[in-house]
Amino acid sequence: MIKIEKLTKKFGAYSAVDALDLDIPAGEIFGFLGPNGAGKTTTVKILSGIMRPTSGRVLVGGFDVVERPLEAKKVLAYIPDEPFVYPKLTGFEFLRFIGDIYSVPYAEQQKRIPELLESFEISAQSGELLESYSHGMKQKLLIASVLLRKPKVVLFDEPTVGLDPKSIRRFKVLLRDIAANGTAVFMCTHILDMAEKLCTSLGIIYAGRLIAKGSVAEIKKLASGAHADRSLEDVFLELTESGG
Amino acid sequence: MFQILFGRKLRTFKNAVMALKGWHLVKTILFLLVGLLMLLALYGGFWRLLNYLEGVQLIGPMLSWKLASMVLLITFSMVIVSSIIISMTTLYYAFDLKFLFSCPIGLRSLFLDKAIETVFYSSWTLILAILPFIVALGRVKGLDFGFYISYLLLMVPFVMLAGSFGIIFSMLVMYIFPSSKTRDITWLLGSLSVSFVYVAFRFSKPEQLLRPDSLEVVAQYIQYLQAPTAPYLPSWWVTKAMVSYPAANWEAFLFYGGVLFAAAFVIYAGMYWLSGFVYARGFSGAQSAPKFHGVSRLIPEQRLVLKLENFRYLLTFYWKDRLLLLRDARYWSQIILIVALIVVYLFSIRQLPLDSQDIKSLVSFLNIGVAGFVMAAIGLRFTYPAISLEGNSFWLLKSAPVTTAQIMREKLLLSLVPSVLIGVVLITFSNHLLNADFFISTLATCTIIVAAIAVSVMGVGLGALFPDFKVENIHQLESSYGGFIYMACAMGYLTLVVAIEAWPVQMHFAQRFGRAHPWDWRGLALCAVTFIVLNAAVLVIPWKLGLRNLEKHEI
Repeated sequence: MIKIEKLTKKFGAYSAVDALDLDIPAGEIFGFLGPNGAGKTTTVKILSGIMRPTSGRVLVGGFDVVERPLEAKKVLAYIPDEPFVYPKLTGFEFLRFIGDIYSVPYAEQQKRIPELLESFEISAQSGELLESYSHGMKQKLLIASVLLRKPKVVLFDEPTVGLDPKSIRRFKVLLRDIAANGTAVFMCTHILDMAEKLCTSLGIIYAGRLIAKGSVAEIKKLASGAHADRSLEDVFLELTESGG
Repeated sequence: MFQILFGRKLRTFKNAVMALKGWHLVKTILFLLVGLLMLLALYGGFWRLLNYLEGVQLIGPMLSWKLASMVLLITFSMVIVSSIIISMTTLYYAFDLKFLFSCPIGLRSLFLDKAIETVFYSSWTLILAILPFIVALGRVKGLDFGFYISYLLLMVPFVMLAGSFGIIFSMLVMYIFPSSKTRDITWLLGSLSVSFVYVAFRFSKPEQLLRPDSLEVVAQYIQYLQAPTAPYLPSWWVTKAMVSYPAANWEAFLFYGGVLFAAAFVIYAGMYWLSGFVYARGFSGAQSAPKFHGVSRLIPEQRLVLKLENFRYLLTFYWKDRLLLLRDARYWSQIILIVALIVVYLFSIRQLPLDSQDIKSLVSFLNIGVAGFVMAAIGLRFTYPAISLEGNSFWLLKSAPVTTAQIMREKLLLSLVPSVLIGVVLITFSNHLLNADFFISTLATCTIIVAAIAVSVMGVGLGALFPDFKVENIHQLESSYGGFIYMACAMGYLTLVVAIEAWPVQMHFAQRFGRAHPWDWRGLALCAVTFIVLNAAVLVIPWKLGLRNLEKHEI
């Protein structure tokens, strides 16, 4: 569902992403890990079509994001790390806006928007302007907007920042549900515990290069001297401190 | 503590200057050079005016000082109004306030830091704008370098006193009504005040100062010149100190200078003391968002989407922008300023001392350029910033299945209809006031419709060519490099349009004056072709450049 071939992104002489190769099938929850500035956000921005690669190829749902961006964007949903939304729209209007630009049929919007607002416990605030929403409420609204449009690929950049524990638990259940329905999930995160328990496969990026890829068990085996009882955090630190 | 806070501003400025490299450095230097040229042009105009006034027998020197006192009074009023608008942001909504409030910094030190920031931001452009006048005044009166030094020293308490009005107003209003709604109301009041000052100044017919014959009795005119412009305001104290300098009346100079500094010291000491009691409550209240209850039903454009599926994106973006525009006080204040601009424009047309019908028709033709300028100025506030005002939310559109051209087309639609309407209203009313003939009225109306379309396309195109998604307000965009390019291009275009049409208009007047064979059809065809080529270029080039740039733009 997501195919990345020799993806490189340069800012001047600096390579933020360097010859990245990835293949994420439908129904997989892929956790993309790496220290700050490793190239995670740049990768996800390229996948979402808001940044162009310097070289390489990215296919989302079978569509090249550079050659056929509209088709690719129709099947993907992206949530950035900062939930910037139009401050003078209400929560309800924002979901209507997303529904309209992603061509969600009107009858479905009428039915699902109240359900989603209720499910994320923001029904009571849905008539208020988004400028009055907290970071977590905006994040919930964006997640609700993803569920409204039923995409084939979901790109999350630090999705749980600002969410309360109850919402995080709900988010994990949702993620498993949408993956079970055949959606590929690409998630950048620093929360290694969540990645270990939730993701079906992981990738670790360091200085723009993919230094490890595989299931949690496979990644753990990659670290030198790794024992079965070592946590993903230990392995991650070892891999990134040794530079891969 | 205050030194630390002030030091961070100096370091920020130094780092920003040092970071200028390559194209950014070239762009900044070009911008500064153009600004300098504009100041030089202003200086040239003021010098000619003051030179003329100074040469008027008996009352010449009085005239220049009277004009100086009026300029200072207007500057004082404008700084007050600016400080009301700006202090709301700097004191209560600046991006660094939450961080600073969480630091172990005394409330009063923090307030003083923000108060000085307010005074700086609300006065620097105005002080720079009147500098050419002061330099011309000094030169015309043959004053030495000390005059300019004294002037600059006097300006410090002058702007501090003007700024204190806005700061005290905002502080008290936020203390009494601690809510973010207060900011919107204050912005509106600020815009209303600016509009009022602008309209009142124009309605006071300042041109009478240059036409003494318009006052009935000479004595009345001299009395008017000798009367203090506003005796209890700092602008008058500055004028008195400046008048005392060339007369070497040091006693008066020190007295008025001393009054200015003493007043500034007393007022700032009072504000410093007061802030300890009222600033925190206002800041806390400003954090609360106003309650707003929207409705959960279909809005008209959404109903249309159900019927016109092909226009889905256009209509969806349109309803989004319409709601944002209606709910944002920043736009309302811009609309108030535009209404004031239009009122002053029509009043000025009405006041033109034109006697002959031919002259009236000629002025109606030249008025196309002036009406176009008003439209371009409106475009600078609405059309040009439309793309950039998507702000941080632009990622939503960039990652959505819509083309950049669709986004730009909607922005064009949003501003095109009001632009054409305003242009037609301006031209129709001014043609009516000037009693223009049928040919000129028709030509002016058709031209303004084409110009409204061209200027709107130019606004969206150049807005996409120079987007800045990080700006917090429209004023930053207006005074940006791109804003300047847009205005320069719009003015160049309007000048060319008037120049192209001047030939057919000349033929029309030749016919009116009864000349044989007034119409040169080959000349007319040449004008028509040039007009079409010019407009085609204006409609295509900025749009294409903007589209290409926005497509490549990375967030």
